[in-house]
Amino acid sequence: METRLGSVLLATALLTGCGWFHRGEKPASQVVAEDPPGDPSVIEPQVKRREVKTPKIKAKDVELGAYFGALSIQDFGTNPVYGVRAAYHVSEDIFLEAFAARSKAGTTSLEDVFPNITVVSDAGRYFTYYDLDVGYNVLPGEIFLGKGRAFNSALYVTVGMGDVKFAQQDHFALNLGVGERLLITDWLALHLDVRDHIFETNLTGRTKNVDNIEAVLGLTTFF
Amino acid sequence: MRRLFAPCLLALSLVFPGASPEARTPPVEVVVTAPYLEMHSGPGRGFPVVYVVGRDETVTVLFSRTDWFKVRAPRGQEGWVRRTELAMTKLADGSPAPIPPYPDFASHRWELGAGYGVFNHENLINGYLDYAITDSLDADFDLQQALGTIDNRYIAAFGLRHTFVPEWKWVSPTAGIGTAYEYIQNKVPPQPLQTRNQLAYVSAGLRGFITRRFMWRAEWRKYVVFTNQNQNEVPEEWKLDLAVFF
Repeated sequence: METRLGSVLLATALLTGCGWFHRGEKPASQVVAEDPPGDPSVIEPQVKRREVKTPKIKAKDVELGAYFGALSIQDFGTNPVYGVRAAYHVSEDIFLEAFAARSKAGTTSLEDVFPNITVVSDAGRYFTYYDLDVGYNVLPGEIFLGKGRAFNSALYVTVGMGDVKFAQQDHFALNLGVGERLLITDWLALHLDVRDHIFETNLTGRTKNVDNIEAVLGLTTFF
Repeated sequence: MRRLFAPCLLALSLVFPGASPEARTPPVEVVVTAPYLEMHSGPGRGFPVVYVVGRDETVTVLFSRTDWFKVRAPRGQEGWVRRTELAMTKLADGSPAPIPPYPDFASHRWELGAGYGVFNHENLINGYLDYAITDSLDADFDLQQALGTIDNRYIAAFGLRHTFVPEWKWVSPTAGIGTAYEYIQNKVPPQPLQTRNQLAYVSAGLRGFITRRFMWRAEWRKYVVFTNQNQNEVPEEWKLDLAVFF
């Protein structure tokens, strides 16, 4: 009881002492009165309004890549071909594709047998094409590698048209293809394609449709 | 080893900022409000359901491919969710999931397409880009190659196209006018008198929508080729294009 009484007395003494020391200072009410008029609040709220940004979901529908393989140019042998491809996936079934590639033709059997005969000049042996295709995923599915790995894949067919520049002449070409897309990861795909570029030519003497079949292996990334 | 590995990763992410897209943009996290959310093994209707997330659980949306969204479940499992099912989820604050809406067929802004046609009895390959100034008036840019037996033409055309009833989804008539420039490469002699010509055209056509992002367009054009000769050439063109719109 004595202890409590003592502590109350001590606290009172301290408070009065503090009051003594502050006697020379202005009372708190006067300090407030000196604040600029028109700003009655004592505490300025320091809360900044947060700008809420709705995050965006990124669409990865565009595919870009390159390919190489073998192109069989009718009457001119089979030769390496290098190209680039771009695709846009419209739906899970349909995609639009564009290709551009180049190869160099070999010699015809006639030129092999008679070396003095030249069917196409050296500059004209370049086989350059571009194609615009529409593709359809016929058989989508999964490919299993061993026990614990599965890769998404699709067997697709493509049809389209393009320009084939061969023997220094442009030809309108119909393009038919079948391919397999294997997604190694969500953004990297391996393609195996077989395509036929069909166009009309009279290069070997008579007008005929020629089939130029290529088998190519490509790698693409999704953006 | 780990000490060595961490700076290498940091350096790699600085050199290839695209290597870690999740680090740059905050991931989209949505809460399942339906009784469950099915995750498929692939982005297609036939892929089997490999995991199911329950109501009130949060999934991270990684990216989309066509109408499918790759998501990560709370315990790390990843799978593909159909657009219609993801649309039933909500953000943490209760607002709807930020699924980009389909472009509106009547008021879309851009079209990008290609197709086949016939220009003056020659095979025509056409590519076009179209910007909608208003719902019914479009600025149209075409790049064309006409491949004939006599010559090979490259045509760049720019025009305005009016869609009469843009609200008609399956078929809507169009009409247009424009100007073009052509470059002729001869396949057989004699060389044409002018290989570079200015053209003007009028057009009439139809357009319609196939799916939510895919459309067709058919057009007939009558060109006038301005030459120095006594008579101007007036070739005709028709074409059918397939296009995506944004």
